Amino acid sequence: MATVGKSFVSQSVRKALRRHALQSTTRWHRSLRGVAATWWLLATLLVTPSLSEAKAPASTPGLSASDGQSEARLLDIYQLMANGNTRDALTKAEKLVRDQPNFQLAQLVYGDLLAARTRRLQSLGDVPDASALGGAPALLDLKEESLRRVTALTDPPPPGTVPSQFLKIAPQTRHAIAIDASRSRLYLFENTASGLRLKSDYYVSVGKFGTLKTQEGDQRTPLGVYFITSTLDTKALNDFYGAGALPLNYPNMLDQRRGKSGSGIWLHGTPPHQYSRAPRSTDGCLVLSNPDLLAIIQSIAVRNTPVVVAAQLVWKSAGQLEDPARSFQSALNAWSNSKVSGDLKKMLAFYTPDFSSAGKSLDQYTPLLKSELKALKGRDLELKNLSYLQWNDSAETMVVSFGEVAKGQRSGVHKRQYWIRSNKEWKIFFEGVH
Amino acid sequence: MKPRSSSFEFARLLCLCAALAAGAVWADEYSDVAQLTRDGKFSDALAKADSFLSGKPRDPQMRFLKGIAQRDAGRTADAISTFSRLTEDFPELPEPYNNLGVLYADQNQIEKARGALEMAIRTNPSYSTAHENLGDVYAKLSSAAYSKALQIEGNSNAVSPKLALIRQILAPNLAKAAAIAPVAPIKGIAPVPPVAMAEAPPKAVTPQQKTAPESATAAAAAPKPALDTAAIKEAEAAVQNWVSAWSAKDVKTYLAAYAREFTPSGKLSRSEWERERRSRIEGKAKISVRIEGLQIVVNGSKATAKFRQDYRANGIAISSRKTLEMVKHGDGWKIVRESVGA
Repeated sequence: MATVGKSFVSQSVRKALRRHALQSTTRWHRSLRGVAATWWLLATLLVTPSLSEAKAPASTPGLSASDGQSEARLLDIYQLMANGNTRDALTKAEKLVRDQPNFQLAQLVYGDLLAARTRRLQSLGDVPDASALGGAPALLDLKEESLRRVTALTDPPPPGTVPSQFLKIAPQTRHAIAIDASRSRLYLFENTASGLRLKSDYYVSVGKFGTLKTQEGDQRTPLGVYFITSTLDTKALNDFYGAGALPLNYPNMLDQRRGKSGSGIWLHGTPPHQYSRAPRSTDGCLVLSNPDLLAIIQSIAVRNTPVVVAAQLVWKSAGQLEDPARSFQSALNAWSNSKVSGDLKKMLAFYTPDFSSAGKSLDQYTPLLKSELKALKGRDLELKNLSYLQWNDSAETMVVSFGEVAKGQRSGVHKRQYWIRSNKEWKIFFEGVH
Repeated sequence: MKPRSSSFEFARLLCLCAALAAGAVWADEYSDVAQLTRDGKFSDALAKADSFLSGKPRDPQMRFLKGIAQRDAGRTADAISTFSRLTEDFPELPEPYNNLGVLYADQNQIEKARGALEMAIRTNPSYSTAHENLGDVYAKLSSAAYSKALQIEGNSNAVSPKLALIRQILAPNLAKAAAIAPVAPIKGIAPVPPVAMAEAPPKAVTPQQKTAPESATAAAAAPKPALDTAAIKEAEAAVQNWVSAWSAKDVKTYLAAYAREFTPSGKLSRSEWERERRSRIEGKAKISVRIEGLQIVVNGSKATAKFRQDYRANGIAISSRKTLEMVKHGDGWKIVRESVGA
């Protein structure tokens, strides 16, 4: 096997590769044939040691510390191969497959490293007769998984940025999750005094037919702003769900308004015989490896944690999110003020004509609003524990949660509202207690 | 440089003569043991080796020949222990490591085979038999890893590679073994330099002896089992039941086709294996298994079924050679070993 030095990749090649990291891999392959290296070796040249060290998910009780390190270990092996150190790479690959025999990608790399002892490798997963043996689709999946795991490391989100959906997260919400389907990556954030901070990130699989779920059985993962509703007891679950299952509130109010169907969209683990699943392989669920899922379950209070699922996340600095936040905050303040004013007509102007809450139309909901105004008696209103997450696709929408407390009261009700922007005006199309 | 005294020269010559004479005597004994082994007279070979070793218990060549006799006699565990102890006493010799590797591979302990063969090469980097054997072991391990990676059915049960056994310790290597001074080639076996071993399969030791090991093998082979048509029919029915249970995703019947003593390959326990089989089978929407060219050989309460298996499930189609070893139990023929490959 050709030894490819690190210096082989110039800064410009590095940039170009990064730009094309998510595109077809064949181009890399073609450009590499001359040096008889494999495309993934080159991909791994981008892996810097500092990054591999940084990638260390929190240790979790009940699991050996190395269980959550499998991806970092795999990428370390890639690094060794990229440096031409196939002997150490083989030793480490052997240890990795011994610890995680069901990590198929690790087995593939191990197979390659063994095969490289006897013949020259032409590509990643240079399996003789893979297609004759019926393994071609699985091989393609593993190559894609490899690429996505490498890319997550070589092309991390810019420091100090957060996904554009996270306009305001209440301090009481300790964590937030965002998923980028195009990268097969789940990002876990910690909500600190200075805002959201990326805590760790994990490989995640989505639906067989990708994203944008619209109906039951379409084997797609929904896109939108969701919340984890509960933690399902693993004892009551089939092996298929692995270390646990965290249901999401799909279909949410926006989905229901759009007539989307289906249910049971969960974040869950893998069956015992499988460490991780192909990037696109689920019936719509979001599937993590068991150590990764456990790390999440055990390090955060999962219930009510927001989960943003996007086809592709857009990362923004806090400064870039100030304007849209301010613009929405003023609409929310205006709604709150109208409530304090006790003017029902003024207040009703904030609700869309097709408003709906638990099957009630706006007309049917109006008596409730009226009684709320009466009870408030013109006292000031405080929106405690306020969060709002924006979701923009063909429409601009906002998912808002808060505790509504009248001045002088010690408690109030938890409310969730869905707002939509039409003709530059923010309006509420759902409101409910949760 | 000072000229040496003549008395010193004379003494040296004497020593050398004595050594050569002794070497020649030993060479005959080595040749005898090697020949008896080739002739399939294993107990004679072992007796002769043991009587020699009672006087020279450390002698590496004789211990090596004893290991080969044990292996050819089918006493694999004894042979493994003989070669293991040789590697402990003479870690600089590549041949015992090579043969230890071959024996482990015979037992499908491929990881252990790899370790031993890597040691053979570490002791002598130009040792091409060990290199070739190690290449086969790497290929086998690699294909097992690929099978696991791509979840290709059953390939990890493939038969172990047939590796080349070395029949004698080569003179240059033996000279390195500090334990003995005289080096004697075995009569009738031409010393072969390590590199040439690549072309020479182990059984073709020298041209004139080419046929000997083969006839010995034939003689040692079990007598042809009598045709037992009733038993063959029963075994055939058992294979067909196994195929149809698998195709029907009837896991209970499928697992019942395996004997209690069936040992899954790899490090899986029986219950882990059953769980894996269950999830593999139940995880498929539809499974179709068809077999062709079924050949069954029955020998008493044992049977071997060989056939080509066409497996289809979830868009995967795999055609492979399969061998089922079966044992007759009270409730019919049960599978005790399953392997894939020619």
